[in-house]
Amino acid sequence: MEVGFLGLGIMGKAMAANLLRHGFRVTVWNRTLAKCQELVALGAAVGETPAAVVAKCRYTIAMLSDPSAALSVVFDKDGVLEQIGDGKGYVDMSTVDAATSCKISEAIKQKGGAFVEAPVSGSKKPAEDGQLVILAAGDKALYDDMVPAFDVLGKKSFFLGEIGNGAKMKLVVNMVMGSMMNALSEGLSLADNSGLSPQTLLDVLDLGAIANPMFKLKGPSMLQGSYNPAFPLKHQQKDMRLALALGDENAVSMPVAAASNEAFKKARSLGLGDLDFSAVYEVLKGASGSGQA
Amino acid sequence: MAARATTAAASLLIARAAAAAGPAMRLRGGRSRGGARLVLACSASSSSSSPPGEGGGFSGRVGFLGLGIMGAPMASNLIKAGCDVTVWNRTKSKCDPLLTLGAKYESSPADVASACDVTFAMLADPESAVEVACGANGAAQGMAPGKGYVDVSTVDAATSKLIGKSITSTGASFLEAPVSGSKKPAEDGLLIFLTAGDESLYNRVALLLDVMGKSRFFLGDVGNGAAMKLVVNMVMGSMMVSFSEGLLLSEKVGLDPNTLVEVISQGAISAPMFSLKGPSMVKAAYPTAFPLKHQQKDLRLALALAESVSQSIPTVAAANELYKVAKSLGLADQDFSAVIEALKAKEQNE
Repeated sequence: MEVGFLGLGIMGKAMAANLLRHGFRVTVWNRTLAKCQELVALGAAVGETPAAVVAKCRYTIAMLSDPSAALSVVFDKDGVLEQIGDGKGYVDMSTVDAATSCKISEAIKQKGGAFVEAPVSGSKKPAEDGQLVILAAGDKALYDDMVPAFDVLGKKSFFLGEIGNGAKMKLVVNMVMGSMMNALSEGLSLADNSGLSPQTLLDVLDLGAIANPMFKLKGPSMLQGSYNPAFPLKHQQKDMRLALALGDENAVSMPVAAASNEAFKKARSLGLGDLDFSAVYEVLKGASGSGQA
Repeated sequence: MAARATTAAASLLIARAAAAAGPAMRLRGGRSRGGARLVLACSASSSSSSPPGEGGGFSGRVGFLGLGIMGAPMASNLIKAGCDVTVWNRTKSKCDPLLTLGAKYESSPADVASACDVTFAMLADPESAVEVACGANGAAQGMAPGKGYVDVSTVDAATSKLIGKSITSTGASFLEAPVSGSKKPAEDGLLIFLTAGDESLYNRVALLLDVMGKSRFFLGDVGNGAAMKLVVNMVMGSMMVSFSEGLLLSEKVGLDPNTLVEVISQGAISAPMFSLKGPSMVKAAYPTAFPLKHQQKDLRLALALAESVSQSIPTVAAANELYKVAKSLGLADQDFSAVIEALKAKEQNE
């Protein structure tokens, strides 16, 4: 199967590499073209523009960092819209708000193309290991065509119905995740400040009803002050913001999510935006009587 | 011959119990130990001169004060393990199932403590814990050198120290030992003990803890076990509210909340609590494993602990407000997952 792949950041690079390793023919594009070289070494072809990639490939996947980039790749000059049409499919796996996804979907369909939104749950390592959870919605026939690619990229795919549902599901999941990271950070900080061993807290949490892979993976590196970005904090904060907006639109009460968002904002203001989202721990650690700035 | 047969039989029973306990079994070195449900933990025929935790049984009488959601299954597990158990409960009728299993009965905490070598207490809150230990006919009055008191209630550090002082002033030893885990882990003997206080008492009762639990930690001075429990439960209380927010938001925007539960179970934030409680929360059912009022009590105590060290814990503070709202809606005795009701739009009857 041949696919185009737009966007070779933390996620896109790992996903495209995965497809190549599993025998897919892949034509890549990235805003900074130099980033394509690693994929070329694995056998990828390069498209000079998103339009060029779409011209060449029947199916094109996109993995961009935010709504603005996702829109740009579609609507700008040399963008997807210039070459999308009947018989072609566009699959946007970026995490965006439902309105952005709908806008892209309408434009693609107007040109005769088919569209599926398919944001993922999972960050760098699951992307590398093909263990993402794919939250798809939109054109069912295109979704079915993409299943062989989804099976390589992820461990499970969901088809959630109409456009917007995938985007919403992703935002809800990431909202819960962002709040949980704050709860963990508060727990570790309080343990540390009360004369308990934060590592022991991690050990105890790992034995009980709230044990989860994220705590297990991130806890130890948080205690070491190590925040290599698997999921950049600025993107987590973006997701919290979009989830809160969704809550606002629907008058849903979300006080813990709101409190979590405040901590992520504070973290960004402290210059931690490009670190892993677990760096929000630095905000909680500093928020104590005996903490250093 | 008979002793060897007992040992072999003991090993076989231990192996069977370990297999039956399932994947939750953990064997660890150092300060925490995985526990096999040692069916012969209190067998009179095992050597009482070998150190606990090395095949020796716990010889002596065990008291158990407080037979609520947690205390009843914990005491029952001790009885089933062959221990000589004496119980007391404020409402006497709650003792009956334990008596049927073979427990003895005394009519006050003081009498239980006096009749037993080690007495456990599992009460609902700091007030009851103090009352039972230090009140009129309280356990302290039956304590004496050589005896031990193990308080497995969840209280604040100050309360624990108060109870500890009144126990140790009699010459007896004290161990605070709050647990992580609710009704089902209590029934299945899979609790996690977060102990602190007298280390030799800890070693002495290790085998009993292993009957009731899967893991135990010794955390140093009195207050550390209490604090650790509060921190664990505050993370849990906050997570339950986040999860509730997610379920409600998903439903409000036209998604199936059951699908959210499934999606979460596939990813990095998959937790037993979510998979266990999610489906019933979606159906607005909250069978009580951990009463909401106790979760709110724990958050209140955690907030006080945080205040004492000037630690900001914003999501916990926000979560606490919702548990308070849930209590005002009459949900105090429901499972703590009923906090989701506090987030729902409701017509206010002023």
